[in-house]
Amino acid sequence: MKKKLLSAVLAAAMVASTMFASVPVQAEGEVEEITWMFWDDLQATEDLVSLGYADVIDRFNTEYEGQYHVTPITTNLEEYDGKLNALIAAGQTPDVYICNPGPNMDVYVEAGAAMDLTDIMNNEEADWYATFTDGIFDSLTYDGKIMGVPTCFAAACVYYNTKMFDEVGVEVPTTYDELLDVCQKLQDAGYTPISCSAGTAWCLSMIAGYLCDRQGADLDAIAAHEANWTDDVFVQAATKLQELSQYFQPTAAGDSNDQATAAFYNQEAAMLVQGSWAIGQMNGANEEIEDICGVFQFPAIEGANDPNRMIVKTDNLLVSSTTEHKDAAIALLKMFTDETAQKYMAEVGGKFPIIKDVDIDYEVAPKQLSYVQDIMSQATGNFGFYNESLDSVEAGDCFDNAMVDVFLGNKTPEEACQAVQDFYEANVWK
Amino acid sequence: MNKKNVRTKKPLSPVIIVIYVFLALLAVLYLAPLLWMLSVSLKDNPDLMAAPFALPAALHWNNYQEAWELGRLGAALFNSVFVCGVTLIVSLFFGAMAAFAIARMRWKLSEATQTFFLIGMMVPVHCILIPLFVRFAHLGLTNSRFGLMLPYITFSLPMTIFLMTGFFKSIPAELFESAAIDGCGIYRCFFEIALPLARTGFFVSGLMTFINNWNELLLAMVFISDPARKTLPVTLTYFVGPYATNYVQMFAAIIIAIAPTVVVYCLFSNQIVEGLTTGAVKG
Amino acid sequence: MDKILRNKKAIFIFIAPALLMFVVILVIPMFQMIYYSFCDYAALTPPKFVGWKNYQQLFFKDSTFQIAIKNSMFFMIFSAVTQQIMGLLLAVFLTNIPKGRNVFKNIYYLPCVLSSAALGLLWAFMFNPRIGINQLLAKFGIEGPLWLMDSKGFIVLPMWVIAFVALWQYVGQNMMLYMAQITGISRDVYEASYIDGASKAKAFRYITLPLVKPMMITSLSLNCIGSLKFFDLVYNMTQGGPNHRTEVLATELYAEGFNYFKYGYASAISVILLVLCLIVTLLVKKVIKVETYEG
Repeated sequence: MKKKLLSAVLAAAMVASTMFASVPVQAEGEVEEITWMFWDDLQATEDLVSLGYADVIDRFNTEYEGQYHVTPITTNLEEYDGKLNALIAAGQTPDVYICNPGPNMDVYVEAGAAMDLTDIMNNEEADWYATFTDGIFDSLTYDGKIMGVPTCFAAACVYYNTKMFDEVGVEVPTTYDELLDVCQKLQDAGYTPISCSAGTAWCLSMIAGYLCDRQGADLDAIAAHEANWTDDVFVQAATKLQELSQYFQPTAAGDSNDQATAAFYNQEAAMLVQGSWAIGQMNGANEEIEDICGVFQFPAIEGANDPNRMIVKTDNLLVSSTTEHKDAAIALLKMFTDETAQKYMAEVGGKFPIIKDVDIDYEVAPKQLSYVQDIMSQATGNFGFYNESLDSVEAGDCFDNAMVDVFLGNKTPEEACQAVQDFYEANVWK
Repeated sequence: MNKKNVRTKKPLSPVIIVIYVFLALLAVLYLAPLLWMLSVSLKDNPDLMAAPFALPAALHWNNYQEAWELGRLGAALFNSVFVCGVTLIVSLFFGAMAAFAIARMRWKLSEATQTFFLIGMMVPVHCILIPLFVRFAHLGLTNSRFGLMLPYITFSLPMTIFLMTGFFKSIPAELFESAAIDGCGIYRCFFEIALPLARTGFFVSGLMTFINNWNELLLAMVFISDPARKTLPVTLTYFVGPYATNYVQMFAAIIIAIAPTVVVYCLFSNQIVEGLTTGAVKG
Repeated sequence: MDKILRNKKAIFIFIAPALLMFVVILVIPMFQMIYYSFCDYAALTPPKFVGWKNYQQLFFKDSTFQIAIKNSMFFMIFSAVTQQIMGLLLAVFLTNIPKGRNVFKNIYYLPCVLSSAALGLLWAFMFNPRIGINQLLAKFGIEGPLWLMDSKGFIVLPMWVIAFVALWQYVGQNMMLYMAQITGISRDVYEASYIDGASKAKAFRYITLPLVKPMMITSLSLNCIGSLKFFDLVYNMTQGGPNHRTEVLATELYAEGFNYFKYGYASAISVILLVLCLIVTLLVKKVIKVETYEG
């Protein structure tokens, strides 16, 4: 019997050792192998931006065959941070990885997981640096050091159904009061004026962010504790959100992001506040929408802030501070920001180039894109998504949640602002 | 046998009929959502958004083909079967050994050891994830199927030990005593008496182990980076994108993922019930 | 016999493999976790010892944690009660019907084999106001509630919904455990009791119940621990929202650790979770006393 046991143990050990042996040896010959980490699978995805990135990876591996090779590490969005943290903690930081701007990026920069690219951009690769749009590095610069490279950016606008507007006989609103009026008329005519999602909190928060900014909120002052969340601007903005929310579709409280967008492209709702990435999704799902979809800038609040500021968001790549293949990583970054990649982003992905002089073919690109482009050329300033502009990821969620509570009627605007204020007092301003 | 025949010939009593109605209604509650999932997997995305509960307007069988190819489900299926299979065998074996010592053998610390193993069930995976990953990375065990099996086996052990201890305890002591009188050693007692008699236990704990690991996402997601070694639950998440989710193919992939378990479970369980009843009569 | 059962070497051989894996893979990281719970640790920067600070924060300042504790407790009690009753009931029904036992058993057990992630998504769809049950209710002129977003009351509606889905998914497990035990009761015992004039109800009360008692400890402990650690369905149906009202301990732990990078704080939550599990298991053992028929 003992023998039997022993043989079982031995068999187990043998299985174990073959497993070990089957781990392939990675580096082979001269090829420099790097990894790139991303938050979507490159094959199964329907996301047009992700597909564009997949194309960049293919081009890179073809062009640098025999010299460099990049292997993507992909997760889904929800598990991305967890996996990236584990890899960094284990000293296996991917050579290049994608990251949201704002507090999320702060974490990696502060942990020393991102390489300082200032020197490279200013000296070795000054020509490349010169191709970028002015000011695009602002959100990626920490104490004067460039810590990441953008690959594209998206802008948030209001999309509207021109057919419905014509039918009801309303014009594009330029002020908040006009917006309310338009909503009322659309509603009287039996349409859902605005499609929004509170199930996906950032969608609601995007409208809240616009309202806060139009009202004149100053996030820098908040960060420095020169302003309070209980100030009138925020209470006013939250009150307007509440007011506007009566024009949302009845199921807005539970609808997800996808559903809210679908309500717009299925022509159930007249307006949608969304990032420009939704363009590709809309047109892909319903061909008719391209011809009847107009775009306008989020309306102004009279007597308050500059109405030409836009919400924008960049996708950024950081390079590992511990990479042994800096040249390969930089070559990859260049591939992401070359004209082919940038053209694709604009013409297909619905995101905007971060380099100057891209020859976008507006015949090919979705029509909405040029409308957004027009609005952008008028823009006088940018600000980020509110949940990515506050002092920590948690603070961003706290703001989003407070706005959802206002929408659901669980809190008055004053109470909601107080909740964010309380969070800041306990966690941020110490 | 005779008694059984007499029973089935009796007309159904009202109580039994009420029970049948109850069971049937419950069955509808169980099957309807799953059938709905099947119907969704045959739609296309706009159709799903427009009329989710309607039957598919046209049958998009290609969802399955695309899900299979895009999700690389073939490789994932193999990895899942392999990882879960090995985990199942090893954890049942190790677990049964430990459970036997705890349930049947006489030593001071047996009770304490059981409690010790039980603690394992209470540790949330999320919290030991990073220390574990760092340790495994230093050992070069990340990104390998073997590296994934180790925590799976370990996390399966408490449940297996817990259940098997119960089953071993219910085996009458006389069986071991008479075997000992016949000159059986402790190892033969284990292999020839305890193991065969605890078949039910193996089935129940094996099923739970297998299913837990089959559906485990977090460890698999964090430990494995190479697409060729990913397991099924990880590939199911491929269809959820940052801004858009490919619902129909995801559901198709889920159906593909659950089909083998369902089939194996149904086939397997009928035989087991048989063995279970005869085993019980013998015991 | 006694000598064989006291064989130290055999005990060692039996215990060693499991124990070794257990210590290396589970116990050591667990102690690390306990240590981290006393640290200010952001996952990527080195841990800094801060004493009881995390715990003080949790118990006295963190309102989300209080919600999470409340929800977890509700969830545990609800699951323990409903799953035990339904599980036992189904097991008794199934062992007493003349035909179709396997079919029904397989159907009820089916969700247990499916991934909770997929089922969570499925049920989130079902309770979605635009497409789910509410559309059905609307046909009867009933305006359905916001199943997953309603936030009024001590235990919010979404928690009840999640608890219901969990019952739906996991009751099969209890049913199986009880069935295994009931079919293990020799039929002769029942036959004898019927001959003695016992009714079916009496047989259940005096034969089935006492004999499934050991299984009750097993399944109740599994239930309680499982529901305290419960994560998947909540995460996939509400992600703890709206505004943390459906947060349970495991989802809060995940959010603190992986969304907000507060690793030390998350460790403190897991330590509390661990302690709760221990207390509950001990309570279950104390409350249900069993006489084992050990020789």
